[in-house]
Amino acid sequence: MEQHSDTFLENASKALGNKAQADIRDLLGLFTPLLRNAAVDNFEHFEALRHHVKRVRQHSLDNLDHYLATYEQQALKNGNRVHFANSGDDLNSIVLDICQQHNAQRIAKGKSMITEETGLNDFLQRANLDVMETDLGEYIIQQAGETPSHIVGPALHKSADEVRQLFLQKHDLGERELDNTEDIVGEARQILREHFLKAQVGIIGANALVAEDGYSMLVTNEGNGDLCANLPPVLIICTSVERILPRAEDATAMLRLLVRSATGQSQTCYTSFYSGPRREQDVDGPLETHIVLLDNRRTEILASDYREMLQCIRCGACLNHCPIYNSVGGHAYGSVYMGPMGSVLTPLLSSLEESNALPNACTSCGRCAEVCPAEIPLPDLLRDLRHQETVEKITAPRWRIGLKLHTWLARNPRLYHWLTGVGIHLLHLAGRKRGSFRKLPLAGGWTSQRDFPTPQGKTFMQQYRAQRKQS
Amino acid sequence: MDTNPLDNASPGHGPVVALFVTCLADLLRPSVAFNSIKLLEQTGCRVVVPLQQTCCGQPAYNSGDYESIIPLAKQLIAALEPADYVVIPSGSCAGMICHHYPQLLDGDWRDRALQVAAKTFEITSFLSDILPIKRGHRAAIKLPSVTYHDSCAGLRELGIKEQPRQLLQELCDTELSELPQTEVCCGFGGTFCAKMPEISAKMVHDKVHSAQTTGATILAGGDLGCLLNIAGRARREGVDLEVRHITELLCGDLDGPAIGEGE
Amino acid sequence: MTDSSRAGIFSRVRQASAGADSAEIAAQLRSLGRAPAAALPCADLYTSFLINVLKNHGTADLASNRSEAVTATSKYIYQHYNTHRLVAGNDPRLAAMPWREAGVLPRFGALEPGEPVSLSYARLAVAELGAVVTFTGKANPAANNLLAENHIVMVDCMDLVVDMEAAWERIRQITDQEQRPRGVNFIAGPSSTADIEGKQIYGAHGPRQWHVILLGDVPATALQEARSIAAP
Repeated sequence: MEQHSDTFLENASKALGNKAQADIRDLLGLFTPLLRNAAVDNFEHFEALRHHVKRVRQHSLDNLDHYLATYEQQALKNGNRVHFANSGDDLNSIVLDICQQHNAQRIAKGKSMITEETGLNDFLQRANLDVMETDLGEYIIQQAGETPSHIVGPALHKSADEVRQLFLQKHDLGERELDNTEDIVGEARQILREHFLKAQVGIIGANALVAEDGYSMLVTNEGNGDLCANLPPVLIICTSVERILPRAEDATAMLRLLVRSATGQSQTCYTSFYSGPRREQDVDGPLETHIVLLDNRRTEILASDYREMLQCIRCGACLNHCPIYNSVGGHAYGSVYMGPMGSVLTPLLSSLEESNALPNACTSCGRCAEVCPAEIPLPDLLRDLRHQETVEKITAPRWRIGLKLHTWLARNPRLYHWLTGVGIHLLHLAGRKRGSFRKLPLAGGWTSQRDFPTPQGKTFMQQYRAQRKQS
Repeated sequence: MDTNPLDNASPGHGPVVALFVTCLADLLRPSVAFNSIKLLEQTGCRVVVPLQQTCCGQPAYNSGDYESIIPLAKQLIAALEPADYVVIPSGSCAGMICHHYPQLLDGDWRDRALQVAAKTFEITSFLSDILPIKRGHRAAIKLPSVTYHDSCAGLRELGIKEQPRQLLQELCDTELSELPQTEVCCGFGGTFCAKMPEISAKMVHDKVHSAQTTGATILAGGDLGCLLNIAGRARREGVDLEVRHITELLCGDLDGPAIGEGE
Repeated sequence: MTDSSRAGIFSRVRQASAGADSAEIAAQLRSLGRAPAAALPCADLYTSFLINVLKNHGTADLASNRSEAVTATSKYIYQHYNTHRLVAGNDPRLAAMPWREAGVLPRFGALEPGEPVSLSYARLAVAELGAVVTFTGKANPAANNLLAENHIVMVDCMDLVVDMEAAWERIRQITDQEQRPRGVNFIAGPSSTADIEGKQIYGAHGPRQWHVILLGDVPATALQEARSIAAP
């Protein structure tokens, strides 16, 4: 079920036709905002927190040269090996090299958007490694051969029954029926526990990197990331340069925003800070730890007008509040990042030409910007991308030229008023009885889904001018 | 004929209000503009309709053509700036002038845009917050039950939420029932609804049906874009919903057909 | 590959950065002030912590001294598992407990698969989160946090701090004397997941139950009040 961002409209059309999936999306679209709003209302100074964290993030990005150097120095001091990857392919090769150096076969993976971005799983599997996702949602979609439909809840598009059917098909269950969600979770727990205990390499992401002491912050509810970080003899942290924050308290301040915005929680079960490999006096922990810092055009974004996008904390609130995301679901975007944040990021990380539909998948309703904990003006950035599409002539000519013509006409009021006066009057005469048109030339997009209401009569300007002449 | 933009002001001593009619009201629903004039005159304003106005340029702007609307923005600013206030029967057009014109322009023109922005108001916000309209001795206008659709630009760019509801309470005698998920977009989105009609259809379908669950006879709103979308979809689905602009309700102008209805 | 990538990334980052020196950067950062924390659910710090523990689907108990702590542990594990056995890290504070008084049979070390109950002695607790903080190491192997069915955590009431900023201050005080720990773990509840239909299920990978024993001079009313406030 490979989907690409250049087929957004086809993907969306398919998604809209799937009634069962649409019902799940409707429910999520209703509940996820309620959870978030309750958590935010419960936090007395949420706006102040949001503003504080935004300023810290801006400060970190403004001085990223300093913080990146400090972070690297501290991470090395903690005993890590630090790798830099220009591209997704670079990251994948670095990780494979490490695995091969250790003759590792079994890999336990925590949830990481960076490795989704680089397609690491496929890459490692092609090299015959046994890579198992350990976050329950990621595990489910891995079993199903799908991609995440949401950056926080990757398998939320699946009903419990679908997951049950999947496990019945993929697992050796004997007599067990997995009658309820507890049983399904218990089944995954057992399978994954065995994998954790035998894994030779753990791979995780990082929610933040702390420059001051080289720690990386890992946030989960399941504790699977911590198992990956503590049990296997080799740990690889795949992350990106813009995750760096100055101090540990900056990371936990951001966490306050993240948990409330993502799931409406006031804390996550496991919030961990890992420095590096085990020390002499330690009894456990990985013997070797690697940190792979991905760029993949982030430094270009840093230098561009889209810099604010790097403040994104990957909470998914913009997805949960986007009426378009809730209508078509994450898969339609054909990209690892979806919804408003994805429609900005995907063109920036790949190419605008390929993903030109995404910046248009927006009604500028502004709900995403309203809830974005990082205060990213997502609708403005999306419109700026549409501007770039216009400038680079990616926009379809009929739209580009049609709108230019309309604007030109609008700049000539007398001609505009005369022409519209004639046209509107004719439309009124043709449609006044029925009150609306089922079909109208040049308005196929509109009338394919809704009637076009008939103009009330002559234009206001015609009537107004006539009145003035009389008086 | 169009030399002095104020020469067509209505008589009196009140502040001069320039009405920006908006292209949708001009072309499709002139009653919105006539009712706006009526309401403004009830508060003692002298209303002018600058004849140099056409469209604020949102279609091209939202599609990303910033360059070609700059002259249009300047033309509109010049037409509106002599008045004491600018009032617009649309949240999205008011948002365009208040927020986006200043971002789009530089130097002297930015200053002029900011000055116009400072005195520009969406009509329900003007009639509530700036020159509050009072019923006085007039009888309350009797209306069937109403549900109010908050347009996204009005709600989020301008913070318009209570104003239209307060006005309905002040001037009318009606029962107001709220839409579930009233903060969710109706799927209009300017050119969005024509560029991505299927997705837009799902959104407006949901809006029409949540309007039905309120049991209200009339769906009112402050933005014709949303209202044309909702009314057009209701007509297409055969749903009986009377869709009207808030200014029509506030003037009791319910005799003519509602949006999308035949004569 | 990584060397050329490193040079390229650093050079591009440098070009896009403000070019301020360390002192300026530190001053700017200080000027941003402190982030607001979540308000506590009530005026009392102990009660607030206990409320948040209960809200996190934990259970809680009080113990004014070591004997009471041992008795509370014994009662808890017997009730839940009909056992006297548990696994605890090599924490001198745990080794010094009068286990025999209450008939508890601790095994000191890292939890092995199949052992259901682990016990940790937290370094800190954070009222804002209802969380305990453990450091990885001999005193608390990671498996004890992550692989048990039931995780019991003791914490001294003197080590309870109000919010995460206060927690980091205390952690820095500790790490100034000891080495930076490999891992700092904030734990706020049993392992959970909502990945299937958003339904909250406990025991996703790690503990299904999480029990906190607050040690020291804490009035018994604190727990009673916490229970009445946290109850749905």
